Amino acid sequence: MKAITASALLFVILLGALFIYVAEDIPAFGDPNSPANRWINLSIGIDARSHVVESLNEGIVPDALVSEIKNRGLPLPEGYKVEREGEGWNILIPKGEMFYPNLEKYYFIMNEGNRLWVYRYSVPVRWEERCEEEIGVPNMVTAGLADYRGYDTLGETTVIFTAGVSVILLLRRRGKL
Amino acid sequence: MMEWLIAEVFAKYNYWVSIVLMLIGFYAMIAKDNLMKKIIGLNIFQTAIILFFISLGDVSIGGWGGGVTEPIVKGALPWETGGIVEHGVVYANPLPHVLMLTAIVVGAATTAVALALVIRLHEEYGTIEESEIIEKERELP
Amino acid sequence: MSAGGKAQEHEQKYKRDVIITTIARLMIPFIQMYALYVMVGTEGAGGGFQGGVVFAASFVLFVTAFGITKGRRRLPESWNAALSSLGLYFYAGIGLLCIILSLFGAQYLNYGALPLWTIIGRPATRGLSITFVVEVGIAITVMAVFASIFFDLAWKGGEDKEDNKEEGGE
Repeated sequence: MKAITASALLFVILLGALFIYVAEDIPAFGDPNSPANRWINLSIGIDARSHVVESLNEGIVPDALVSEIKNRGLPLPEGYKVEREGEGWNILIPKGEMFYPNLEKYYFIMNEGNRLWVYRYSVPVRWEERCEEEIGVPNMVTAGLADYRGYDTLGETTVIFTAGVSVILLLRRRGKL
Repeated sequence: MMEWLIAEVFAKYNYWVSIVLMLIGFYAMIAKDNLMKKIIGLNIFQTAIILFFISLGDVSIGGWGGGVTEPIVKGALPWETGGIVEHGVVYANPLPHVLMLTAIVVGAATTAVALALVIRLHEEYGTIEESEIIEKERELP
Repeated sequence: MSAGGKAQEHEQKYKRDVIITTIARLMIPFIQMYALYVMVGTEGAGGGFQGGVVFAASFVLFVTAFGITKGRRRLPESWNAALSSLGLYFYAGIGLLCIILSLFGAQYLNYGALPLWTIIGRPATRGLSITFVVEVGIAITVMAVFASIFFDLAWKGGEDKEDNKEEGGE
């Protein structure tokens, strides 16, 4: 065998070992609670006493949670609201963006094992729920490409244009072009 | 032992398939001599990454497929249920689809430029084997 | 088409085949209409990139059936620069239009700020400007670039005279 084939095989085997070592962090296939799809556990938790639960039902977030969230640097501006949804509570925060709806679902508090844990919603949850009423386009992928992520598409069209120009420059024949 | 096997290997089979394809493409890019085979290896590598990323967006309840639909809002078209949006439908995650559209297009542009480079190299040296090109370069003054 | 080598050593000249030219003549308009249908990405799957690529595939079919010289006459070199920049002008232009028409009140690419929203309402403005300006611009750019890449990669230097002698100057 030549030298480069042997060293390439060795490198590939080492990379395979690295991928096997990392495999425990990858979520299972089709997990609805993985961080990319639903929410991320922020590991902020306090004990679920009854007066805390009652105050959450009325719409007031306990001070311990508020101070902990603000210490981490996560956004919690004035004017937030607490709503009950299913088994937990949503915290809606005002975003102050132009022409977008004002209150947006951001945190989720769940009662698990007698403690209250705080989760943060990931971005596609807002796409799936608000796509029809904000843009009027049923296809979430096109709405995301052309409206929510319009800058990326502008850059990508520039990439295609540059590829076309560079192929012309490379293949300029004598006498043609 | 059986639980470890099920939890690590069978539940994440999208990851293992994508790793195998990725390593095949990577080996072809490094160790083959022909320039066209290197370009094909590049394409296999990009396809493996794109497949893995899209498989991360599947939200079938309980794993193992079934029960999730494509990210187009159901019932919003006038010829389906009269234009009234249905609630409670589980959609696949649309964010990986959006990012991977850009990745596919960039991969196609890169392949086009690489093929143009191969044509120019063939016109200059008369061969597309990498070792012969290196030897011809060594012979030049 | 011809095997490699110099222009004088062609073993297989380009021959005109009846079946392929008839089928191509039937199929090319339908392929282009399907490309326009895919380009409207709002009511079903699709989008600008997908529609543009299908449109460029119709050019590939034309070249396969009729020869590359006639194909180059349908999409000349001068059109290439114009078309591929035009799509990008549409996209960047509507972004700039949003800033100017709302009297510097909105950001770049914020389609809800165009003055059309007083007539139709904000969701419909965003939907219409996606379908009619952004996707069309992307499709035009992608079509021009991919067709031009294909012609550049497939062009050979000496094919001009061979094809014209075959066709009898058609």
